[in-house]
Amino acid sequence: MSHPVTTNPLIIMLINMTVVFLVLIALGVVINLIHYIDPTKPKAAPQEEAAPAVAEPVADPEPVVAAAPVEEGISPEVVAVIAAAVASMGYGAGSVRAIRPLERNNWKNSGRNALQSRG
Amino acid sequence: MELLNAFVVSLQAVWADSGFSAFTMGNGVMILVGLLLLYMAIVKEFEPLLLGPIAFGCVLANFPRTGFFTDPGLMQAIHYGIENEIFPPLIFLGIGAMTDFGPLLARPITLLLGAAAQIGVFVALVGAMLLGFTVQEAGAIGIIGGADGPTAIYLSIQMAPHLLGAIAVAAYSYMSLVPLIQPPVMKLLTTQKEREVAMEQLRPVTKFERVCFPIVAAIIISLLLPPIASLLGCLMLGNLFRESGVMDRLSDTAQNSLCNIVTIFLATGTGMTMNADDFLRTETLLIIGLGLVAFIAGTAGGVLFGKIMCRLSGWKINPLIGSAGVSAVPMAARVSQVVGMKAKPGNYLLMHAMGPNVAGVIGTAVAAGTMLAMLK
Repeated sequence: MSHPVTTNPLIIMLINMTVVFLVLIALGVVINLIHYIDPTKPKAAPQEEAAPAVAEPVADPEPVVAAAPVEEGISPEVVAVIAAAVASMGYGAGSVRAIRPLERNNWKNSGRNALQSRG
Repeated sequence: MELLNAFVVSLQAVWADSGFSAFTMGNGVMILVGLLLLYMAIVKEFEPLLLGPIAFGCVLANFPRTGFFTDPGLMQAIHYGIENEIFPPLIFLGIGAMTDFGPLLARPITLLLGAAAQIGVFVALVGAMLLGFTVQEAGAIGIIGGADGPTAIYLSIQMAPHLLGAIAVAAYSYMSLVPLIQPPVMKLLTTQKEREVAMEQLRPVTKFERVCFPIVAAIIISLLLPPIASLLGCLMLGNLFRESGVMDRLSDTAQNSLCNIVTIFLATGTGMTMNADDFLRTETLLIIGLGLVAFIAGTAGGVLFGKIMCRLSGWKINPLIGSAGVSAVPMAARVSQVVGMKAKPGNYLLMHAMGPNVAGVIGTAVAAGTMLAMLK
């Protein structure tokens, strides 16, 4: 409590607000830097985000999803759920190129193995 | 006869040693204040976890001849923890473990809203100095506007320990009243069109960013402002416990058991600083008034800066999230959400408001650090 730098309240306000803004701006720069050097960030995301900024924001998604080839036997509800899951991860609807069931039976085999190992 | 004399002398000795003989009117008034605060905590549910122990501490502090602050014991240990700034950083450790910095990392521009809302701190500081408080007292009073209890206590202990009780009560009372104080200011300063602005979904934040941020932020802020290194260091350490994914037990302890234990000590100890001599003064009323001014000015500062950002971003930022910059996590963010939903049902602002909300915690700590460096 010995020697304050100044006792003028307006100068204190001005200096302190400037310091608060500068420190938080510096933190913002650091956050952007961490994002920039992040080796784990998804690569495709920036391209997908850049496209709608040029084109019309609302009109695009539906035709793109409709254009993606969907094999017979997959209901529109499943298509919608997959598209929503992809969108929730930050990708545009245009990321869905095709929807088709896999031929592999990994899950079935895994379940059988689990049952057998119990016995 | 001898027996009767001995009995009377004993009774007189018991009376002379009892608290009743030293009980003053001031003690009585302060016990009533404590009971009023208990009523607000238990019946009205105003920040009960904090106001409850503060109120009971206030009642305890006004029993004469307890020797709480002179004789070794639990109460002196609690007082030691407050006087030597041990408890606020430990609370920040828990807050860090509870805080999700994701919204801030996804949209770092909202840091500016957390900075703008600190104007409330300095408006109250100017007001306090105009009312005759010293510059150190004004700084401690102003920090009420930061709406951050541990930081307010941390700064008060160092700059105006005799005002600690009044400042802590004002800070926690207004924090619980945020849903009443903020909406009128937010509505007054924004148009219907601004309140209806819908914000884009936040980008996903990777684990790399979540882990790097607390480490780098602790290094930078501690080097820039050493007076708050223990506060911000603990905040970031707690957050690292949470985000690392390999320290779940520590994260759990920091945000639950440890935080609860320290809250009991900090709040009770703060209440115990509310003795009649220090509290029953005109200054207490002025502090409570200035605290309200600080909250209103901070809310206004955040919203007005939000309006500027709304225009500059091409109507992509809803100015209502600016009010969350006053800290009071997460209540201020909830207020932004509620006001936004009233303006446009289905407009979810909560996650967007969490960015300025946690930025406000950092901003208030930075403001405290700057004042400690300049004014102490």
